[in-house]
Amino acid sequence: MKYIRALLSLLVAGGLTYLLNQPLGPAPALGPFFSPFIGFWQNDEAPQKASSSELKLQGLKGEVIVKYDDNGVPHIFAENDADLFFAQGYIIARDRLWQMDFYARVTSGRLSEVMGPLALDFDRYNRRLQLPEGAAKLAEAFMKDPDSKLVAESYSAGINAYIDQVEYKDLAIEFKILGYQPEAWSPLKTALVEMLMRKDMNARSDDYRMSNTLAAHGPEVVKELFPNYPIEESPIIPKGTKWAFTPVAVPKVPEMLKASVAARLDIESENPGIGSNNWAVHGSRTATGLPLLSNDPHLGLSLPSIWYQMQLVSPTVNVYGVCVPGWPGIGIGFNKDIAWGMTNVGSDVFDFYQIQFKDKTQKEYQHDGQWRPVTMKINEFMVKGEAKTVQDTVRYTHHGPVLYSDGQTPFMGDLPVGHALTWIGPLAVGNSLKALYMINRAKNYDDYRAIMPYLASPAFNVVFASNQNDVAITSAGHLPLKWKEQGKFVLDGANPAHDWHDWIPVEQNPYVKNPGRGYVSSANQFPADPSYPYYLGWKFAPGERGIRINERLEKMTQATTDSLRLLQNDNFNVEARRVLPDLLKILEKDSSSKAHPAYEILANWNLRNDPEELGPTIFERWVKELRLAIWDDDFPSTDKKAPMMLPTRDRTWALLKKQPNSKWFDDKRTPKKTERAADIVRATFAATIDSLIDKHGRINNESWAWGKAKSADIKHLVPLFKSFSRMDVINGGGANIVNATTESGHGPSWRMVVQLDKTWPKAFGLYPGGQSGNPGSRLYDNMIDQWAKGELNELVFLKSKEERHPKIVSTLKLLK
Amino acid sequence: MLYVLIILFSAIAQYFGPWWLMPIVCFVLCLWKADAALKAFGVAFFAAATLWLGYASYQHSVNEGLIGQKVADIFKIPNVLVLVVITTLIGGIVSGFAGMAGYYCRRALA
Repeated sequence: MKYIRALLSLLVAGGLTYLLNQPLGPAPALGPFFSPFIGFWQNDEAPQKASSSELKLQGLKGEVIVKYDDNGVPHIFAENDADLFFAQGYIIARDRLWQMDFYARVTSGRLSEVMGPLALDFDRYNRRLQLPEGAAKLAEAFMKDPDSKLVAESYSAGINAYIDQVEYKDLAIEFKILGYQPEAWSPLKTALVEMLMRKDMNARSDDYRMSNTLAAHGPEVVKELFPNYPIEESPIIPKGTKWAFTPVAVPKVPEMLKASVAARLDIESENPGIGSNNWAVHGSRTATGLPLLSNDPHLGLSLPSIWYQMQLVSPTVNVYGVCVPGWPGIGIGFNKDIAWGMTNVGSDVFDFYQIQFKDKTQKEYQHDGQWRPVTMKINEFMVKGEAKTVQDTVRYTHHGPVLYSDGQTPFMGDLPVGHALTWIGPLAVGNSLKALYMINRAKNYDDYRAIMPYLASPAFNVVFASNQNDVAITSAGHLPLKWKEQGKFVLDGANPAHDWHDWIPVEQNPYVKNPGRGYVSSANQFPADPSYPYYLGWKFAPGERGIRINERLEKMTQATTDSLRLLQNDNFNVEARRVLPDLLKILEKDSSSKAHPAYEILANWNLRNDPEELGPTIFERWVKELRLAIWDDDFPSTDKKAPMMLPTRDRTWALLKKQPNSKWFDDKRTPKKTERAADIVRATFAATIDSLIDKHGRINNESWAWGKAKSADIKHLVPLFKSFSRMDVINGGGANIVNATTESGHGPSWRMVVQLDKTWPKAFGLYPGGQSGNPGSRLYDNMIDQWAKGELNELVFLKSKEERHPKIVSTLKLLK
Repeated sequence: MLYVLIILFSAIAQYFGPWWLMPIVCFVLCLWKADAALKAFGVAFFAAATLWLGYASYQHSVNEGLIGQKVADIFKIPNVLVLVVITTLIGGIVSGFAGMAGYYCRRALA
């Protein structure tokens, strides 16, 4: 009896211990997770204290000093470049390892290994986009150049030095909750992070919407309503700039795809939130007589933030700025002599080809009068919580992967038709690490231009300013040499003239140095007006931000860092200035509309999307409804089978102004009535007010205020972790406002202003997040409130490790 | 006495080693010194609970308890205090059973 009792009690105690040490379904192992010695309680981080400490790290060649300022920004001083990048990797891993590991898992299509079936579709799509294959090519290119090889390998070694010594106790909370361990870093993973950026910037398409539109309405209508250049625009390269090169021959426009299949491809449409602003003001327009530079890249706002601030110092460099965790070097920043920044170009580099298969087996497809073999590839996925691996068969043509989901194949006659994808992601190589290595060390304009061949994708508008009083901007990146409108519609996969054949010579990408107007700028609008000899795309980001930036810069004569900061936060609504008077004129004639308090609000609105204004709450909603009401009967954008494209807002407002009696205003769904512009304007005004009342209650200054009605959510990378997010941040602005904070959570992800100087530059900046990736740290989101108010921090740019600065709070010595 | 010894030894063990050294310490100490099954359970339970409660509360207090509240929200636990109670119970129960097993093994070996 006593033996049985002993045995039983042992079994219970042992079993319980064992169970608590095992993950339970999606939940983490409860024992280690709850243990206050190692579990989540350990992720509570005490505020940083003044301290100095030492650490021994294998792999260092000399001594590295890391000084942290009161904002958690590390200032790294190394004796050589290998140690510098080693330390950069080690230091960023301490703050952001989970995020880096997450990014690499996303692009390698392996998220479901740790997140479960929920992430499987996402993984499948990322593999089909060939993100891993593209990364492998990039990593190979890193290894071919001695500088980038040193950067990639030292950085990886530094991250791995951290991974090797980190204990469960110090792991990021996300690892603990999701119950997995970080994987070793490698140059390939750095390349995977770059691929994430390529996807975020370029992997969207409206091709099939345009094809459906063309099929339904014909070329005349498309020409009238979907022009290749906007009516109101202020291009990046000033109008009238002479192109200082002899263009290469542009391919002739071939025969178009005749029989197009109505299709609905499961692909994201162009997103107005992905955009950015940058500009540089020449010394002739500044108070100091030397240039000022500003940049605010708009990306999906997330926690941890996409950016991390650092100062990197070695005998070859002293540079400050932000980097993307996982991507070594400084991406946007400044050194003693120069400053640079980036915005997305947004040219059309993502094209679909209609593929005609020979038969139902889909083993051969037509190209250039022959049947070419389809290559099959099986992607395998391990899924957390599932015993068997999941397989996904992808068919490849020479264009690229056939991207529709199985079972959704459109048919022509009874033969299946597929849509293959050619996009820049896995094609362009370049060497981003080399480019960053060079720009971080650049001293002048020539050094800046020298990086261009290495920038492949995503294409960036790289703005530049130097203390030699040069300002410049280049739409840098590999851009396919296209015939006019190539890729505006789905392309013919059988016609070799539709393939991508060549690139625009890099030195002929749009660029300008010291233009007569005294400033350069970009806001993702058209890089150049139609005088540019190459076709880059028929649609870029709406022109309003660029128009506003340029008209304000035009008026600056004694610009200071503060005038640039104020411009970054400019909430003026250029679209409202353009269209609201026309709309109000129509409402004026209608007594019931005019009597409505909302009319009064709009009529008295100062046209600024400031957080306390009610005008923008009504206007933004109204124009959205209005555009939909005008077009959706003829161009159904959410049609299940063949969704079409809505004409741009730019085109819509021109129609409203110049052709108020156009047939397009007639709602086809009401056959008995012939509507005019005025009818739609009045009806949508009333509908907008009704739906706003539904949402925010009766008109009042609280819930109708734009900041409140819009609000911005800055979500954790795993949106399920709601409490790690910052919801409802009050901010003004909007998608097409210079202060481009949107409802969808996009916005200025880093704001920087640099004042160039002969001796030492002065710079300001911050991003909506914090240096720490740990939600248990005060430095996790400490900059958000300042960001929302439009403030900037003065950045601590140390001259040397000996400099004593009041903001430096702790020092860490890394020893070999 | 046993109560203090368990707290002391399991604190040291867990500071340097994995969390499951705590039930092992309870088992060993009760094997050595416990004199009744329920008492063994009770003393191990309360000692471990005290330790985990104490340390969790300390951690919680050093930084205004940022992480506790956020973790509670993720697991839809209404209050961070409940999270502290769960922590205490998990540590206590597994240790209590380990202590009881120690006592029964002592009886079996006697």
